[in-house]
Amino acid sequence: MPPEPNGNGYLSGSNLEKVLKHGHFAVTGELGPPQNADGEVIRKKAKLLKGNCDAVNLTDNQTAIVRMSSIGAGAIVVQEGLEPIIQMTCRDRNRLAMQSDLLGAYALGMRNLLCLSGDHQTFGNHPTAKNVFDLDSIQMVQMVSLMRDTKVFQCGEAFKGQEPRFFVGAAESPFANPIEFRPLRLGKKVKAGASFIQTQLIYDIEAFKTFMTKVRELGLSEKVYILAGVGPLKSPTMARYMKDNVPGLWIPDQLIERMAAVGAPWAGKSKDELTKEDKKARSAAWQTEGIKICIELIQQIREIEGVAGVHIMAIEWEEAVKPIVEGAGLLPRPIV
Amino acid sequence: MIIAEQKPLAEVKALVADAQKVLVVGCGTCVTVCFAGGAREAAIMAASLRMATQLDGNGKEVAEVVVQRQCEWEYLDEIAQQVGEVDVVLSLGCGIGVQAMVEHFSNAWVVPGLNTSFLGLPTEQGVWAERCAACGDCILGLTGGICPIARCSKSLLNGPCGGSENGHCEINAEVPCAWQLIYDRLSSLGKLDRLLEIQPPKNWRTARDGGPRKIVRPDLRLPAEEE
Amino acid sequence: MNDNEFEPNIIAFCCHYCAYAAADLAGSLRLEYPTAVKVVELPCTGKLDVLYVLRAFENGADGVLVAG
Repeated sequence: MPPEPNGNGYLSGSNLEKVLKHGHFAVTGELGPPQNADGEVIRKKAKLLKGNCDAVNLTDNQTAIVRMSSIGAGAIVVQEGLEPIIQMTCRDRNRLAMQSDLLGAYALGMRNLLCLSGDHQTFGNHPTAKNVFDLDSIQMVQMVSLMRDTKVFQCGEAFKGQEPRFFVGAAESPFANPIEFRPLRLGKKVKAGASFIQTQLIYDIEAFKTFMTKVRELGLSEKVYILAGVGPLKSPTMARYMKDNVPGLWIPDQLIERMAAVGAPWAGKSKDELTKEDKKARSAAWQTEGIKICIELIQQIREIEGVAGVHIMAIEWEEAVKPIVEGAGLLPRPIV
Repeated sequence: MIIAEQKPLAEVKALVADAQKVLVVGCGTCVTVCFAGGAREAAIMAASLRMATQLDGNGKEVAEVVVQRQCEWEYLDEIAQQVGEVDVVLSLGCGIGVQAMVEHFSNAWVVPGLNTSFLGLPTEQGVWAERCAACGDCILGLTGGICPIARCSKSLLNGPCGGSENGHCEINAEVPCAWQLIYDRLSSLGKLDRLLEIQPPKNWRTARDGGPRKIVRPDLRLPAEEE
Repeated sequence: MNDNEFEPNIIAFCCHYCAYAAADLAGSLRLEYPTAVKVVELPCTGKLDVLYVLRAFENGADGVLVAG
């Protein structure tokens, strides 16, 4: 697969890389750092995810809201014996900051990196901030791959000593516009050096199959590990909101209807008519169905040629990951 | 051209609060055609200030004048006397105009009446949109003549990002996705292959990031005067 | 009219083709209107400019009437 491996035959030797290289269907999760300095939050979430994922993404100021840094949180995750995938956006750092932070992240034991453009800061809690976007995500992939493979900084200057050896990934939103260009742009990410790809949440299996066909035709699935993004729906309202507001997120109506159907016993009642217990029971019914749908999606995705794994995004619902992975028959996770 | 818009009257009033005599200086170039600081706007501003300050009980003497181009010193000589007679000069030029006056009239207190917004063009009556970021290293030849530096919210060189939705940018449904525009144009011209190359990191040194910029053209310089 | 009563100064910007012609006709018919109304003839009220209105107020008008 990807570029010439060094020494031990791996690019980074990360657990995720080994799992994928050995041909196992990989499972990655997501861990959102808190909006405070409490490391215990990370430890608790890490405990929920450990053993259920091969590695977990640590988001980088997700949706442009200030949170504990992905590298800081990643260091705690390493201590907890779970493998982090550091997310890094182009929004907040220039090429100097990116490289120095990655040298630090490697020194702290981090081995996987996901390169992202980053949500625009106008979405977040500091909309008056200046953004950076010195590089874009493709240029970042290229920069960190070259740091690893040729021991040069972005400026072209060679460096001595330990190079940061990351398993480098990028994101892909298969249904964002212009949709015909997405597989070609994915090709650019692969050309830049990406070894793995995590996609936006997939709910529309047929559309994803079409995307994957194009990806296979371009020969990309042989050059890069593609992890399809999945996530449990929490409620029909949330599903509708995501469908209407998140670019590139397609949710078939039939899935939203399934979610709504399990809430039927409580339907037609106003907020005030529902007791606390009612609401709890309805939530539980929705969540059970959300997890069930997620498991079915994983099973369907597994059948698609060229998909190397799944990336489970259960944001602020890390408890859902275990039942999903277990339900999909993906436990225990391979030890490689 | 340079697109600007007027500051709110309350802010302008605050900027000239200490003065009794005010000279509003319009500019006959960019800000005239974007209706922010031409002869008409200068006259309206002066009248508004006269009336507003009179209503506040501290009526100021406000005169107005327009120069052809506030950003060239030679056009400023003609207003030197008027500038010398007032307490404050309210420039309705762009930020360059304000500074040209500051550099030309060492004793004058010059304040801005406009916010200089961007380099752009009128896309329809009453609408102006940004087109150029003056990055100093034009890449329009690569992108079908559509600038991602100025028009992509993230200035991506290898776009579009995942936030492109139905032709618009993730930040706002009113903002067209520059990379969708680039894609459509190159596609219609049969030049999509140009998008397959990875564009390397940009050299931002020619942009503002390299520090204040200056161009020296030896071929146009006058010979140094003999000592 | 009571002497103490406020009589506003009104500047009436009138279109040559309608309102001004009407004022003319009113004159021919010997109809009276307050002397505080001053008529300014415009070739068309489309010619009215913000500046004219501001100038009117600055020069003491209490109200501006645009008729066309």
